[in-house]
Amino acid sequence: MRTERRVDAWLVLLGAASLAAWSALAFGGGELTLPAVCSASPTGAVSFELALVLESPMKLAGDWSLMLAAMMLPVVVAPLAHVRQRSFAKRRPRAMLLFLAGYAAAWMTAGFGLQALALALRWAMPAPLVCLGTAAAVATAWQVSPCKQWCLNRCHRRPPLAAFGMTADRDAFDFGLTNGTACVGACWALMLLPLFAGDNHLPAMIAFTLFVFAERLEGPAALAWRWRGPGRALRIIVAHARMPLAARN
Amino acid sequence: MAFTRKNVWANGGDFNDPTILWYARGVAAMQGRALNDQSGWRFFGAIHGFNQTKWQRVGAWSPNDPMPSSSDRATFWAQCQHGSWYFLPWHRGYLIALEAMIRDAIANMPGAPTDWALPYWNYFNPNQNALPPAFASPNWPDGQGNNPLFVTRRYGPDGNGNVFVPMDQVNEDALGDPPFVGPGQGASPGFGGITTGFNHSGRTHGGIEMQPHDMVHVLVGWVDQANQKGLMTDPDTAGLDPIFYLHHGNIDRLWEVWKGTPTAQGDPVSDPNWTNGPPNTGGQAFVMPMPGGTSMTYTPGQMSSLSTLNYTYDNMSPPAAAPQAVARLQRLGVPAPAAVALARSTAMAGPANVELLGANTQSIRLSGTEARTSLALDAAVKNKVAASLQATRAAAAAPPTAPDRVFLNLENVRGLSDAVAFSVYINLPEGEDPARHPELKAGSIGLFGVSTASERDGQHAGDGITYVLEITPIVDALHLSGALDPGQLHVRLVPLKPPVPDSAQISIGRISVYRQGS
Repeated sequence: MRTERRVDAWLVLLGAASLAAWSALAFGGGELTLPAVCSASPTGAVSFELALVLESPMKLAGDWSLMLAAMMLPVVVAPLAHVRQRSFAKRRPRAMLLFLAGYAAAWMTAGFGLQALALALRWAMPAPLVCLGTAAAVATAWQVSPCKQWCLNRCHRRPPLAAFGMTADRDAFDFGLTNGTACVGACWALMLLPLFAGDNHLPAMIAFTLFVFAERLEGPAALAWRWRGPGRALRIIVAHARMPLAARN
Repeated sequence: MAFTRKNVWANGGDFNDPTILWYARGVAAMQGRALNDQSGWRFFGAIHGFNQTKWQRVGAWSPNDPMPSSSDRATFWAQCQHGSWYFLPWHRGYLIALEAMIRDAIANMPGAPTDWALPYWNYFNPNQNALPPAFASPNWPDGQGNNPLFVTRRYGPDGNGNVFVPMDQVNEDALGDPPFVGPGQGASPGFGGITTGFNHSGRTHGGIEMQPHDMVHVLVGWVDQANQKGLMTDPDTAGLDPIFYLHHGNIDRLWEVWKGTPTAQGDPVSDPNWTNGPPNTGGQAFVMPMPGGTSMTYTPGQMSSLSTLNYTYDNMSPPAAAPQAVARLQRLGVPAPAAVALARSTAMAGPANVELLGANTQSIRLSGTEARTSLALDAAVKNKVAASLQATRAAAAAPPTAPDRVFLNLENVRGLSDAVAFSVYINLPEGEDPARHPELKAGSIGLFGVSTASERDGQHAGDGITYVLEITPIVDALHLSGALDPGQLHVRLVPLKPPVPDSAQISIGRISVYRQGS
């Protein structure tokens, strides 16, 4: 027998939304420019005043939400599948949207903090490379810490969800909010890197997305100081690269 | 050389049976080896699971023990596959490796058989549900008070060392589930478990894993009067008990029995993620130490054919009763041959439609003598189930599809104790003795592994385990008799040994019911 798999419509929709966000980031001009902090003044200093003049909070929020849609949709597939599975068929779209709303709320809140942190760093350390180096050091320290694992473990949580009425709505939103908060905890330091990548902002975002998605393939683990990376993803690639070779031999 | 695994009770289950005596001698030799010796008993126990604190508590580890190298630990220890479609093949390789070690350990003893194979304990045989005598006495032919098969931390369901399997707590219903891999998502977990690919959660146990596997572990190990866990009760210590391997011999035998049932679809050998094992999805390969310092790396695909491995069992005949899926269709009026064909074709008809049918409204605690909850059903989904039943009855001579199956889910079961077993009843009338209503019993659950699965920073992220019980026969009967409450199902959880202490902190996140249809 062969276990069959089918691609559900909601997965196609999610993939399409993510692709659209990426396209807007890559090709969009005018309203869909890269976030100001990432693209402004790659070679020199930037001031709070200038940043705020160039980019209104609404514009920053819009750009941030676009980045969020592009980068984070791949990692919400698993928790969204949990929401879908634990909801009545007629309530699935509503529950999944509420989860996404909660998840986005966590990241949008974090977005203001992270952009403010990025601006502050840029103001304190005008040299872009120093900024990038500092962000990389912070990201590396966080990456190997038990705190990062604590957050990752909570990203893997799949709580029970109420099935009926307002309680079901609240549970779906709360799950999104807690999952999003855990995701912010796991990813905030890495998220700083694209903010300082200047002209390489887009490649940095792509690298970040792949890294975070690969990292999420690892299961929950005990808290410890250790390196965490895309080891499992690399092993999957190697295993699947070997399969055609093995079939030929 | 071909190896035949035989029923441990075939010759009385005592030391007059040379198979048991040589097992004891092999175990004794292995028990004499250091913790870091790959051919040692404790090393093998740690392959199933290792937790330093728990091992120290049961006297299996002390600070003076030489630990294996970090490489050995990473390669061999704590590999056991639970809540996974790898459950059966991983344990098959584990048994084969242990047998090789036992044969090697006794090889130089005078008169040792070269074709020795593990016996199995089939507690389903009449009058064979008690622990075989050779395992129950501290004495054996080679010594007094040092029988290597005797374990003091094996308490039995009464917590007093009288070890037996209460037959009303175990069943072989999983043999009647046609697919090896179930759709999961609230519906059948299949005979062998659900797919565990890139996102291996291990949060739902497969059919044969839940019953009888989990329950026998819990009932044999249990706890003593001072609440000390038996070795078999916890996955981290279970591999230290010699009866473990006879229990798994029976589980492995049931895998072969299932293949011989008329509705079984066979192993998922055409799926490379199963056949090639965890490395296909970036996981660790299955590796066992073998005699002479060698090792055996294996895949589920290599474990699929028992005869290719040169093993067999002395009895692999399927149960006389029709598989559950067939019996159900027959009750609905479908003739026997058509019922078998329909059960098979339905199982092979591709991805099933699974949807939530009903649920309770809040989490419940299981403590004291029982727990109760009610599930509200969605009228539209319930009508789908009813319509599928009516369609089958209306075209009973040759129905095009099988009617919906219905599954009760106990989601996110968490707790601090694995030594809890309980039965689940549906719509049990008020004041009635549950024992008088087996027709309303959805199943029995033993919480093997729950405490580990409840650790927030463990492999399950603290989500616990989700148990899936098929309640199709109960829903069918209620529906056909008109006794199915249009809006609700009433669920009662009855502990095997009440009261369940508050300190066990057993909670069930949600109880829900799902339909699985075509």
